[in-house]
Amino acid sequence: MNRLKLRRLWSPTPLKRHYDTIIIGGGVHGLATAYCLARTHGIRDVAVLESQYIGFGGSGRNTAIVRANQRTPENVRFYAEGLKLWRVLTDELDFNLMFFNCGNLNLGHSEAAMNAFRLAANTHSFLGVKSEVLDPQQCAEAIPGLDISDRPAFPIHGGLFHPPGGIVRHDAVVWGLAKGAAAHGVHIHQGCEVRGIDTDGARVAGVRTSLGRVGCNRLGIMAGGYSTAVAAMLGIELPIHPLTIQAMVTLPLKPFLHHVFSSGAYHVYANQTLKGEIATGAHMDPQVNYTTDATAYYLKHQAEALVELMPALRRVRFMRIWAGLADMTPDMAPILEGNLGYDGLYLDAGWGYFGFKSGPVAGKYMAEYMATGERPEMIRAFQLKRFLENRYSGETAAVMKYGHWD
Amino acid sequence: MAVGRVDVGSGSPESRGRREGSLPPGRLTPGPTCRVDFSWPLAFRFLGRSMTGFAGDTVASALYANGVRVFGRSLKYHRPRGLYSMEGESSNTLMEIDGVPNECAETTELREGMSVRAQNVRGDPKTDRFAFIDAFDRLMPAGFYYRLFHRPYGLWPLFQNGLRRMAGTGVLDPRRELEGGGRGRSGTRGRAGVGAGGGARADGGSRANGVQAERYLNAAVAVIGGGPAGMAAALAAAESGMRVCLFERRRWLGGHLAWRAREFAGEPIHRRGEGLAALLLSRSRAAGLVKVFTSSPVTGVWGENLVTGFTVGGEDHPFRECHWECRAKVVVVASGCMERPLVFNHNDRPGVMQAGTAWRLARTHAVSPGKVAVFSVADDLSLEVAVDLADLGVEVRAVADAREVGRQDPPLVAALEERGIPLLTGWAVSRSIGRRWVTGCELRAVNGSGSRRLRCDLLVANAGWQPRIGALATAGARLAYCTHTHTFQPAELPDGVFTAGSLTGLRDPRSIEASGRLAGSRAAEWCSGAAPRLATAPRECESLPAPEPGCDIRHGPAIGRGAKAFVDLDEDGTYKNVVESAVQGFDVPELAKRFGGFGLGPGQYRVTGQNLAMIMADLGGDPVEAASPTTVRPPLVPPSLATLAGPGHDVHKRTPLHGELAARGAVFRRAGPWQRARYFGADPRLAPGVDRGSVGGRRSGRGSAKIGRGSADADCGGAKASRGSAEAGRGSAKAGRGLRDEILNVRRNVGLLDSSPLGKFRIFGPDALRALQRVYISDLSKARPGRCKYSAMCNDMAHVLDDGAIIQDSERNYYFTTSSGRAGSTVEWFRYHTRHDGWDYHLVNLTDAFGSINLAGPNARGVLERVTGDDVSNEAFPYMGCRRITLGGVEVRCLRLGFVGELSYELHVPSSYCQFVWGQLMDAGADLGIRPFGLEAQYCLRAEKGHVIVGAESEARVTLTDLGMGWLWDREDTASKKVGAPALRACEKQPGRMKLVGFRVEEGAGSGGPGSPRDGALVVDGGEIVGYVCTTRRSEVLGWQYGMALVREGHAVRGDRIRIREDGGRGGRATWSATVVDPPFYDPAGERLRA
Repeated sequence: MNRLKLRRLWSPTPLKRHYDTIIIGGGVHGLATAYCLARTHGIRDVAVLESQYIGFGGSGRNTAIVRANQRTPENVRFYAEGLKLWRVLTDELDFNLMFFNCGNLNLGHSEAAMNAFRLAANTHSFLGVKSEVLDPQQCAEAIPGLDISDRPAFPIHGGLFHPPGGIVRHDAVVWGLAKGAAAHGVHIHQGCEVRGIDTDGARVAGVRTSLGRVGCNRLGIMAGGYSTAVAAMLGIELPIHPLTIQAMVTLPLKPFLHHVFSSGAYHVYANQTLKGEIATGAHMDPQVNYTTDATAYYLKHQAEALVELMPALRRVRFMRIWAGLADMTPDMAPILEGNLGYDGLYLDAGWGYFGFKSGPVAGKYMAEYMATGERPEMIRAFQLKRFLENRYSGETAAVMKYGHWD
Repeated sequence: MAVGRVDVGSGSPESRGRREGSLPPGRLTPGPTCRVDFSWPLAFRFLGRSMTGFAGDTVASALYANGVRVFGRSLKYHRPRGLYSMEGESSNTLMEIDGVPNECAETTELREGMSVRAQNVRGDPKTDRFAFIDAFDRLMPAGFYYRLFHRPYGLWPLFQNGLRRMAGTGVLDPRRELEGGGRGRSGTRGRAGVGAGGGARADGGSRANGVQAERYLNAAVAVIGGGPAGMAAALAAAESGMRVCLFERRRWLGGHLAWRAREFAGEPIHRRGEGLAALLLSRSRAAGLVKVFTSSPVTGVWGENLVTGFTVGGEDHPFRECHWECRAKVVVVASGCMERPLVFNHNDRPGVMQAGTAWRLARTHAVSPGKVAVFSVADDLSLEVAVDLADLGVEVRAVADAREVGRQDPPLVAALEERGIPLLTGWAVSRSIGRRWVTGCELRAVNGSGSRRLRCDLLVANAGWQPRIGALATAGARLAYCTHTHTFQPAELPDGVFTAGSLTGLRDPRSIEASGRLAGSRAAEWCSGAAPRLATAPRECESLPAPEPGCDIRHGPAIGRGAKAFVDLDEDGTYKNVVESAVQGFDVPELAKRFGGFGLGPGQYRVTGQNLAMIMADLGGDPVEAASPTTVRPPLVPPSLATLAGPGHDVHKRTPLHGELAARGAVFRRAGPWQRARYFGADPRLAPGVDRGSVGGRRSGRGSAKIGRGSADADCGGAKASRGSAEAGRGSAKAGRGLRDEILNVRRNVGLLDSSPLGKFRIFGPDALRALQRVYISDLSKARPGRCKYSAMCNDMAHVLDDGAIIQDSERNYYFTTSSGRAGSTVEWFRYHTRHDGWDYHLVNLTDAFGSINLAGPNARGVLERVTGDDVSNEAFPYMGCRRITLGGVEVRCLRLGFVGELSYELHVPSSYCQFVWGQLMDAGADLGIRPFGLEAQYCLRAEKGHVIVGAESEARVTLTDLGMGWLWDREDTASKKVGAPALRACEKQPGRMKLVGFRVEEGAGSGGPGSPRDGALVVDGGEIVGYVCTTRRSEVLGWQYGMALVREGHAVRGDRIRIREDGGRGGRATWSATVVDPPFYDPAGERLRA
């Protein structure tokens, strides 16, 4: 019963004039980095600055899907480690992150998609990550109600099933990490908006916030969709396009959907939360913008797509739609950098719609990077210079389109 | 024009009439505002019991009249829940109706034959087997699941499955719609009942099936709400000549006036509403400026004043539900008010209801809400309810009013006194008493002193009124707490949004109507762009009563104390849970909402929003005006996916030759916007035994492929049926043989391909060449009349986007082709990349104006010669030539290209002549055995030639040079600023890039197996992945398996032996050896192209 005794998960602290390390962004990435800095590397003089409340941005607006079924070996290795961390963190933080290890089924609607699945399955298996290619019948067995007939505009050709994936309660990750970070001495300041960054020659010196100036030796920009705006305070231009991405849930139903499923051709992913709602999303507005406005068009679009894939969903109702920002890079892989233009300046951005699933593992390696100043091998592939050298990561095979000009 | 069933008055007395004394059980004598027609009984079933309701009933009112008090069980604690609201504000009455889960019984009209079931119930809702969970609430404080179940971790999956089983309310059978292969929209199930007339429907009125419609409206003024203010606004705006759309969620107009029988200014209040409605409808019929939509809830106001919602169809509508979107210049929000629930102990017990619920049961549906009632309210309208119910025969034991003495409307106080009903000012209910339903209650002074227990079977409770702010909030209004009305009011309205009516705190009917007229006039003024003259209210309004002060009671007295007081009925969120959230650090509404789930259930913000904000402010020790609302998210009313999806319009393009291909048994697949023939199956009429049932020929005409585990996907020629079922096998072995024949017929004889989606463009003008030089990577000054020049377009990163042929037609006049996928974006691509140059050129997309037919194979010239008099000999018309030739009187452009690696002619034919030309060619080649081939055959044929398809053998990591196409690049030309040239130069000598290589799979023992490698196999070197196979096929003509792979430089040089590996298949790991060879694999010297 002691487990039920209620305590504050983290407590407000006064804003100090100086911290060894400041992290901009109280989302999964910032909190995970702060937590790992304090717990693993003993750097406890850390402040996390959040302009709204923790988890306000992408961390609280995603559909909570986690997986390691990416295309390239660098990414698969990285996300596979990320998958292992949910259990580790649940234990370390003593906070149930509610990892529902239901597996992900990605549906293919063309021969080309099936080829891509085969490549993915081969790559995953080569790296010891479970994935297999399914035929349409097997897809229908995994997801009852899936229409595998020729009726849909894009008939289902098969799927890529990835058992290690699933969904995690996204808010729990934010709160658990805040709890863990605070327990190790990290200060979390909500409602503290960063308005400028001070430098001292070639070093970062501190930030100017809505609550006053705060000095620091190391600064991490981990502000999700707003990272470009923060980096711009130092005149650093990032190859990141912030796009609005929307998601929605239906009224709650008794569980009938036992895996995450997704479809590239229909721009849909869907899963059933532990509360019984079908959480679904995937569409991105093509225009670069910073709004988090949901659109009527998308609600309709999503309904059209879902009822084609699973006609029984005609009988379901949408209850809530919301939007967040996805910070898209041209190759759909992130930018993890250290000493970026200024000593002590670190950047963890450009996650697109992979920001939630990567949070803890990115925090682990960014903390190592910030603590040691040495770039960890695991994140070597995610350097900014790849864009200057025209070496995209290959996470997306297709050449990405972010505007009408492509 | 009126859309929806506009029910102005309340029907004639005759139709409602029933002789005194013969009232059905549970019913009251119908009054003037009754909308139930006792002459039209409707039979329905609940829990297997037959019940009777009447036309005009909702499912909820009919159930209540039949004595049903427990409608379902709550989500977490499985507490009994009853009829609390009337407009779907809570999930208490979400029920399964005709197999559709989560239907709102409060707003769903009763129909003949309906089958209704309670949700989240094991057994009877009165005696639910999970009811015991209620006793374990102390184990479930806010966020308990975050702190339990994870130690030891191994047990979590067990708990998780348990939690999952308890989650959700409605039950969905995911396979139901698949049975019989019908989808609702196809009409077989859907419209069966509609045409039949009468009340009965084949599917009992289920909204999920049946015909769905869509409307796209345009209005100067959209009015949300058909109450007095909304109607007055619509009338005023229309008088100014504006086109108005008015949306009302109920079946009738009139808002809250519609069930008020009290006299006001000389007439019953409901008459005022009916008068306005009649005026509005006559105006709409006369001038056509007003469209009135009833039964049409608004789901949201989006950017640029787009108002969306849906209309529920009645018996006389051709649709079940109609999704609509209305683009308006101005939105007038007159969405009215709802009650703010009073949070007190056991406030969820069946028998506790809103004042409006009890009132409307009695006045709209002639259902007796209870025998003995106690009221705990905080506003005058609720006092009116008490008086009215007393007049209808309900014994009102007491009325507690949370407001202080003197705040009440004196005439109403007098009316209560007259009827002998004690009024307890400054008192409120502290708890309800009873088991499954209310048998009594305890009243206390708001400050907690004193208490009285009363017996009752109906407990009417509220904390006053709160505006329905959903439409305002989604429209972008910033809301702030108003200390006068004690509600959230707009602190700032966005441009083009006006408010009117009781939403603003007005209560007097005259004020409400005047505010509507004012809003309508302002809206019209705003539309016309005239300078605002109505910035201040006209004098008419000054003499009318202003918004009345509200009540700031946060919760009932003596809250908690071992009892549950619900802030959120949907998610079983109690007052204690709010406190617990705050204690754990979730001390602002937005965080508490997420942590405790307040306002995340089906009722969303509606019931919970303001109470949560006020209680959080209270707990934080802040003044009530610090209360901040949580975000309101659309949809404001949950629409079904069937309604949103609409009638289902798959928008795709068909080539001019679609019919010809279908007649030949083409199997079509979508490729971008097009339906394209992938391959040709055997004609089912000629091939007995082919199962046609599963295809049904819906799209593909006489498609023959049986759906299932077929194996022939892209299996070129080899027909290795053993490729395994794990592969995407859409198609059959039969199709595989057909594909093989298609390929061989091109290689050995002659075939026809419909390549109409190919991009076709004309560019002309003084600067046409400069534009071409900018976007194409080659030197196009070398383009000549009569010659095809091959080139490619790159993007700034030197990724290949497209390739095609460019022909100079005349001076400053060019024709070029693009791949099908780029046809849609090419014009914009040119424009974007020349946008700063001010060049003078014109670019015309001819893609749809001209079809394209590929005639390919060694006998191609023979066929062509039979249909044209023009000289098409190799000398007169060599490889890469371009001519205009005439076929049967039709002039076509003919390009001699070699994509598939044979002598071939690409005919660009005006679309309307395509069928004719196709027929000519088919007839001319009939004796030779000419036959069409599909995209799949083309894919294999070109791969044998090593011709790259963008996207198949290229990706975001490779440039033009990496693909071995660097020879196209005119590296000397820097003046044209070719798109992609700087990137090509920059990474030309970069080490370690991925390069496209060809390979030949070694056969026989030692190479590996089983089977052959497939697209997507890995190329490995030691323990490392160094590349992957893009395309590999076994060539029937060559007799060996060839392929193309992208491999990191240095790991695959010509002559090297590489290892190809597949791990992902079900059969486990397989590896093969292959030798790196240069493409083309087939006809390396290109003799066949030039033959």
